Amino acid sequence: MTTVRQTELTTSRPTSVAEASRELAGGGALPRAGGTDLAACLEVGAIAPGPLVDLLDVPGLRGCHWAGDGAVRIGAMTTVAELGTDPRLAGLHPGLAAAARALATPQIRGTATVGGNLLQRNRCSYLRNPAFDCFQTGGGTCPARSGDHLRGVVVDQGPCVAPHPSSLAVALLAYDATVHVARGRGSGPGADAQSPETAELGVAELYDGTDPTGDHVLAPGDLLTAVALPAPVPGERAAHLRAAGRSRAEWPLVEAVVRTECADGGTGPVVRAAVAVGGVARTPLRLPGVEAALVGAVPGEEAGAAVVGALEGLAELCSPLPATGYKVPLLQSTVRGVIEQALAAPNR
Amino acid sequence: MGIRVNGAPSSAPDDPGPSAAEHLRDRLGLTGTKIACGSGVCGACTILVDGTPAASCLLPADHLAGRDVTTVEGLDGRHPVQRAFAAHDGLQCGYCTPGFVLEASVFVDAWRAEHGDTRPDRATVADALAGHLCRCGAYEGIFAAVAAACAGEFDTEADQAPPRADAPAKVTGRARFTADLAPPGTWEGVIVRSTVPHARVLKVSADAGPDGAPAPLADLLGEDRLVRYVGQPIAAVAAPTRAAAKALAKAVRVDHEPLPAVTDPEAARSPDAPVLYRTKQERAAAPTYGEAPTPSAPWNGNVRGPGVLSWRGPTAVARLRDASRRGDPLLVAEEYTTATQVHSPLEPHVSVASWADGDLYLHVSTQSVSKIADRAAKRWNLPRERVHLVTEYVGGGFGAKNSLSPDVVAAVELSRLNGVPVRVSLDRSEELTDAGHRPGTRTRVALLAGRDGSLRAMSVDSYGDGGVSVGSNAAVLAALMYGRSPRRVRDFDVVTNRPPGEPMRGPGGPPMAWALEQAVDTMARRLGEDPLSLRRRWDGNPKRRALYERVAELPLWRDRPRGKRTGRFRRGVGLAAAGWPYLLAPRARVELVVEGGTLVVRSATQDIGTGIRSVLGDVVADRLGTDAANLRVEIGQSSSVHGTGSFGSRTTTSMGPAAADAADRLREALRELSPDVPASGPVPEHALKEALAAAEGVSVVGERGLDRWGQLTPDMADLAVGRGMSGAVHVMEVEVDTLLGRVRPARCWAGIAAGRIYSERLARNQCEGAVVQGVGYALFEERRDDPASGVVLSDNLEDYRIPGMGDVPETEVYFHQEGFEHVVGGGIGLGEVSVVGVAAALGNAVYDATGHRQHDLPLRPDRLIGDQR
Repeated sequence: MTTVRQTELTTSRPTSVAEASRELAGGGALPRAGGTDLAACLEVGAIAPGPLVDLLDVPGLRGCHWAGDGAVRIGAMTTVAELGTDPRLAGLHPGLAAAARALATPQIRGTATVGGNLLQRNRCSYLRNPAFDCFQTGGGTCPARSGDHLRGVVVDQGPCVAPHPSSLAVALLAYDATVHVARGRGSGPGADAQSPETAELGVAELYDGTDPTGDHVLAPGDLLTAVALPAPVPGERAAHLRAAGRSRAEWPLVEAVVRTECADGGTGPVVRAAVAVGGVARTPLRLPGVEAALVGAVPGEEAGAAVVGALEGLAELCSPLPATGYKVPLLQSTVRGVIEQALAAPNR
Repeated sequence: MGIRVNGAPSSAPDDPGPSAAEHLRDRLGLTGTKIACGSGVCGACTILVDGTPAASCLLPADHLAGRDVTTVEGLDGRHPVQRAFAAHDGLQCGYCTPGFVLEASVFVDAWRAEHGDTRPDRATVADALAGHLCRCGAYEGIFAAVAAACAGEFDTEADQAPPRADAPAKVTGRARFTADLAPPGTWEGVIVRSTVPHARVLKVSADAGPDGAPAPLADLLGEDRLVRYVGQPIAAVAAPTRAAAKALAKAVRVDHEPLPAVTDPEAARSPDAPVLYRTKQERAAAPTYGEAPTPSAPWNGNVRGPGVLSWRGPTAVARLRDASRRGDPLLVAEEYTTATQVHSPLEPHVSVASWADGDLYLHVSTQSVSKIADRAAKRWNLPRERVHLVTEYVGGGFGAKNSLSPDVVAAVELSRLNGVPVRVSLDRSEELTDAGHRPGTRTRVALLAGRDGSLRAMSVDSYGDGGVSVGSNAAVLAALMYGRSPRRVRDFDVVTNRPPGEPMRGPGGPPMAWALEQAVDTMARRLGEDPLSLRRRWDGNPKRRALYERVAELPLWRDRPRGKRTGRFRRGVGLAAAGWPYLLAPRARVELVVEGGTLVVRSATQDIGTGIRSVLGDVVADRLGTDAANLRVEIGQSSSVHGTGSFGSRTTTSMGPAAADAADRLREALRELSPDVPASGPVPEHALKEALAAAEGVSVVGERGLDRWGQLTPDMADLAVGRGMSGAVHVMEVEVDTLLGRVRPARCWAGIAAGRIYSERLARNQCEGAVVQGVGYALFEERRDDPASGVVLSDNLEDYRIPGMGDVPETEVYFHQEGFEHVVGGGIGLGEVSVVGVAAALGNAVYDATGHRQHDLPLRPDRLIGDQR
C-alpha cells in the first residue's frame, strides 16, 4: 500500500492569490483548503503526492460579499457551514443553502470549503483503493465499469463511471452561478510582478464528463477564488432534494435543485425554470426538457401533463450501466419531488 | 506560535508532524481522543478548536498553532452532559464516548443559551450529532442524556451512582484502552498482506531495517504456505514509528506462484471452478466462523454440506413435494438473501507485546482474556503463569475479538525478534477487510400449512458465503422455531477466495430470522390471518407466548394502520419472533479478597461494553447488603481466577452466580473471624468494616454451580448448553418514503425473555444496541467486494455504512423475567437473542407499509424504488 502522509510533504503558506497560483503553476503541487479529503486521497493514492500549498493565509478568499440586489460573491475558502447557516443566503438563494446543510457532517461542513467541495475527487471505491489503477490515476481502464458500480453514473458520458460528488455544484448550476478562476503564469522571469489573469466560467464549464482523468478541468496554477450568484428575481422559488440511504452524513445517490421564476411576483405560473441534478453523471447536469415543461406550471397545483411527460422523457437521457438501472426511476422521482417541493415552497 | 491545550500552554508541533489526533495522543499523552475511522466519519477523534468541534484525525497538527484546544480531558468530568451520559448510560464500550461528549457539550451549551433549559427533539439532537457513530448502538441513552442535560437536569452532581461503574472513566477519557497503551520505546508493527486472491508463496524477503540488517519478519502464513484471499496476512515487520514500519512493510518482497481463484459463490459451485481446499487435511484446517465446534460434513468441490437436522424429515420433504406438484396455495416456498455484515468495532484489533526474562507481557483488545492467555501459553510454549495478559477496557468486539488473531501473533513475534515492546494495531481498512464478518447467506424456505392453518412441513436450505471459512448454521436455528411439525433443515458452505468470517453476535440468527419470518408473514397473508395470531398458534415456546400476549395489548401493534396505504410516506408495522440457546460457562470463577481493609472482586473476565464489571460489583454488594462503591472490581487480568469470555450470551449468567457464590463464601469466612456478621441478610456497615479489618488477606473463590436438573451437555471447553431457550419478539414501525425508496424506522418494541435481569439499565442498553445493529443489517450494512479479485471495496466507514443517530427507531425494551427459575441466579444471556429478529421485523413492517415483499438485504433505495411505481 502506498502511504503518503500529507504532513511529510513540504507545506508552503502563500499570502496572496498570485503567490499561491505561482506555486501551483508548475504542476505537482497540491492546493490545500479545508483538507478534509486530501489526507485520505493521499493515503490511498487517489492523488499523487506533491508539495502542499496551504491556502489558509491567502486573504480575500473567505466570506459572502453581497450586492444590494441580492447578487452574491462567495469566496472559495468560505466553509460549507457558513453557507448553510447564513440567514441571508437561506432567504435569497435557498436551494444553495439547503444543499450546503444537507451534505456531510457538522464537523466536515465546518472545515470543508466551497472551492474544495467543487473541485473534490470523486468517491469511486476503486479510485480510493490502492489495489487498483484506473484512468484517474494514470491507468488505462475503469475497473468499476466491469466491477462494482452500484453508485455509478446512469448517464454514461465517457470511460469513467464515477458521478461527480459535489452537491454545491448541483445547486450552483441551477443558480446560473459563475466561477472565478485566477490563472497562474508559472515562475518565469517577472512572474512575481504579474498578478494572475482572472477568468469567469459557468459551473458547467468547470467539468468535462468525457475526460476520465480528473474531476474538473482546471489546470495546475488555476486557482478557484470565488463563485458568484446573480441576483434573485422577484417570485423566485427554489428547493433541494436528495435520495440517499441513511438520513444524515450520507452521499446522495441522486440529488436535484430546482429554481423557478413565477409570474405575478411568485403567485402566477412558472415563466422560467432551472433544474440541475447530481449523482447521475460525471458532471452535474441541467435538464432542459424538464425546465421547458415546467413553464406554465402553477404553484400549489399538481404538475401537469407536460411535466409528467418530461419526467418520463428523462429515461431517454439515461444510459444505465448494468447495476445503475435503478437510477432512472430514482432520478425521475427525485426531480418530481423537488419540483413539488419548490412549487409548494413559499416564494421569496 | 504556541497552542493552549485544556487551558495550559503547550508547545506547537515544530516539525510538519502528525495529525492533531496523533500529536495529542502520542506526544501529549491525551489518549481520551480516539482514532477509529481515520477519515472524519465517526467522530471519535473530536476535539474543540477555539470552541468548535473538529475531527482531529483530519486536522494537520500544525493547524493548531495559535489555537485554543480542548480535549475530553479538559472538560474535567464537570460538564453537565458528562454526568448525563453516565446517568442515562449513553455508552457501552466507551470508545466513541469522548467524541460524543465533546460535541454534545457544545450543542448543549448553545441550545441552552438560545432556548433556555428545554428539551430538544430527537431530530435536532440527531442533526447535531450526525458526525458521530456508536457501533454498540447506545443511541437511546445518548438521546436521553443530551435532552436531560439541555433541560438543566445535571448542573450538579447526580445523587445516585451511575448504572455503569466505569462510566465516569469513560466519559472523561480516563479509561485507557489497548490502543492507548504504548510504553516508551514501543515499536509499531505492520502486517504485510496478500495482494492476490490465490497463490503459493515461495519466498518472503525484507528490506533493511533501522540498523541496516534486513528487518526481521514475523511469519504469519500457515503450514501450506498458501494465500487464499487478498488481504491475508503473510508476515509482519516493526520499526520505531508507524510510518517507518509501513515503509518497511511496503518494501517486503513476496515471491509467489499464482493459482486460479474464484471469488463469486455462484461460480465457485460450478464443476470446473478452481477448488480452494483439495485435500482432507486442507479441508479440516479451513477456518470456521461457527461459535460452537463445527460438526463434520461432506465436501463437494467448494461446497461443504449439508449439515442436516431433521424431525420426520422424509415426511416433511414428501409433503412439500406433493404440495408443490399440486400447486397448493398454502405452500410458501421462497428464497431470501442477506449481505455480509462486518463487526467493525470502533477500537480495532490491537495488541501490545513485550518479553522480559522469558515472561510474555500482553495487552490485547480481546473478548476472552482467559482463553487468549491459555492459547498464548500454548502457542509460545510457556507455563500459563508466565503469560501476563491485561485488558482493562475493550472498545467493542461483537464476536470478532475471540481468537489469537494476527495482531496478537505479530506483536508477540515482532517483540521477540526485535527485543522491544511492539504494538500492532489494525487500521480501518484492515479491520473492515480481514477482522471477521457475518457471512452473507442465500436461504430457501418452504412452509406448508394445512387447511386448518397448522404447520404441516418446513424445510430450510441455507448457503453461507463465508469466503475461505465455513460454519454456516442459519438453517439449523430455524429447526428450533415453531413447534415439532415435520421438518428438514440443511446448512451448506460455499468457499471462495475472499476473507474469512468470525462469529458475529447471534451467529446464523439474523439471516435465519430474515428468511423464516418473512415466510411466516407470507403464510399469514395466504391464510388471511393476522401475523401475530398465526405465531400464537404455531409457536409453543412459553416465553414467546408470554411476549405475544404483551404484543396483543401494545398500542404500537393494536392501533397499527390497516388496509392499503397510499401517498408518498407509508407507515407499516411488522413483528418477528426469535430464540436463542441458553449457553453457560461452567468454569466461571470469581475471587473475593480482602486487601487493605477493602473488598476486591477479581476475575479474568473482561468488559466489552456489556457491563459485566458493574454486574460483578452489584451482585457481591447486593449479596452482602453493602454499597458497590465500597468494593473494588478488578477484571481483565489473566493472573486472576478463570473468567468467562464475553461471547455466546454466557457472561452474566456464568459470572453473576459465581460472584454471588463468592460473596456467600466470604460471609462464611468473615463469620469465623467476626461473630457480628449475620448468617444471612445485609451485613451492617460497621460490622462489615470491622470484619474486613480483621480479615486482611482472606481470599475465597466462588463458582458457577449447577442448575437444577443439570445442564443438557457436559462442559466442553468452558461451554455447556443449559435447559430452555431465551425468546424475543420485536415489533417495528417504519415509514417508507415511496418516492425515494428510503425506509425510516420510527418505533421499535423489543420484548426479551431471558429470565431475571441482573442490571436493568445495562441490559436494556444492550437490547437497544441490538436494535441499532439490526437496523444497520436491515437497511445499510453490506460489505462490497470487487467481483474479479475479491478485494474488499467497502474498507472505510463511508462505504461501509453503519447507522447514525438519525437512522434508528425510538426503542422500548420489555423484559419478561419468568421461566428460568431452574437456573442459578434465575437469568440467562440476552446479547444474542436481542439482535436475531430485528431485521426480520423491519422487513415485515416494510411489507405492511408497501404491500411488496422484499427478499434481499439490505433494503437499499435501489431495491425499494422499483417496487413502488
